[in-house]
Amino acid sequence: MKPSPAERELSREEVARYSRHLLLPEVGPGGQKALKAASVLIVGGGGLGSPAAMYLAAAGVGTLGIADPDVVELTNLQRQLLHKTADIGRPKTDSARETIGGINPHVNVQRMKLRLDSGNALEILSPYDVIIDGSDNFPTRYLLNDACVILGKPNVYGSVFRFEGQVSVFNPTVGGPCYRCLYPAPPPPGLVQSCAEGGVLGVLPGIIGSLQALEAIKLIIGQGDTLTGKLLLFDALGTKFRELTLNRNPDCPVCGHNPTIRTLIDYEDFCGVRALGDQEGGGEEITVEELKERLDRGEDIFILDVREPQEYGICNLGGHLIPPGELPARIAELDRSREIVVYCKTGIRSARAIETLRQKGFTKLRNLKGGINAWADRIDPTMARY
Amino acid sequence: MSVSVDGPVTRSSVLDALEAAYPMLRGTIRDHDTKERRPFLRFFVCGEDVSLASPEDPLPEEIASGREPFMVIGAIAGG
Repeated sequence: MKPSPAERELSREEVARYSRHLLLPEVGPGGQKALKAASVLIVGGGGLGSPAAMYLAAAGVGTLGIADPDVVELTNLQRQLLHKTADIGRPKTDSARETIGGINPHVNVQRMKLRLDSGNALEILSPYDVIIDGSDNFPTRYLLNDACVILGKPNVYGSVFRFEGQVSVFNPTVGGPCYRCLYPAPPPPGLVQSCAEGGVLGVLPGIIGSLQALEAIKLIIGQGDTLTGKLLLFDALGTKFRELTLNRNPDCPVCGHNPTIRTLIDYEDFCGVRALGDQEGGGEEITVEELKERLDRGEDIFILDVREPQEYGICNLGGHLIPPGELPARIAELDRSREIVVYCKTGIRSARAIETLRQKGFTKLRNLKGGINAWADRIDPTMARY
Repeated sequence: MSVSVDGPVTRSSVLDALEAAYPMLRGTIRDHDTKERRPFLRFFVCGEDVSLASPEDPLPEEIASGREPFMVIGAIAGG
């Protein structure tokens, strides 16, 4: 993958293209050639991956890998600028390559339409100089962290939720902490909402992903101070940045003095994702078709909606709304003698709500499989889907 | 958000006051029974990570006076 010295030379066209970089003493011809020789893997071609890929391409990074298993959906377009309306239904890696090629045809784009897992991650990450974590789930974040530590590669971390962003550089090879030093274990599944559940302001990943591109460029050209050992927080509502100091954990199971994790593990199991899936399928689910049939027969079923009020305003099944954070305090509103069908957007928050209700002695509980999105897909196509 | 604390201002007393004002937070920041910090959260004071310090250590005057926030930072995964 590494270009030869002759291939690193800048053509006349490239000198003009990168002239604003070449004028900077901190970049100059040496830095620009380093960028051309560099390879960056962007995991996730979504909200964070879009600005990261576009700015790294424009900056002249020679090789960009894009790993993403998904196809473009309408709900992506509010923030994922790699993709356009006409790309809906196409693999994100395909539209990413076209967009990047349009920005800078000199970039070698390596498409990987796949989900990283313990079986393929080390091989996929191995050829790259810098890894950018633009993923959208905890199992992939822990997988990337561990793989980067094992391979000795810098991991440029970014994450977003609603109006809040986090950025850091995890680089234990230069003495910094890793992601596990910061968060040794993930939150239980369902406790922390995803952007699909809680929302995200579209411009926020644009800011955080651009900062990830900035950190990657500084790592490549060896200039400036990176966010190694620091966590940068961004509050979009207050337009405030805050920098926090991170410490390496000498007992970290991956990068500590006596690591116990030396190979990649089962990250879905580690994050409890599989256990939640088993719980959802554990005999207490009801399909949207069965619910429709039973409602049409006039059966006595209490419908409990455990989403937020703004979600209820988008679409609802006419159920009784109790947001998940209020459920423990509002249990008295529920009749434990009646059968209760609990639903949310996709079935994850409702599974946790059922767990809460079971602990309070409720027994007649069913989780609506696939949530209201399944209802919109299979029962009422006129219903808004979000 | 702001909370009032009677007596020494420590991590424990701040979180006790927070959970008293917002009972729904009980069990989310700290374990219900052991009161241990959840591993997907960290505590920062004046830019420094104090997650591993004793919960009974007094917090700096900047926190006690309300000039600086006591920060509870949680893992987020959106991308």
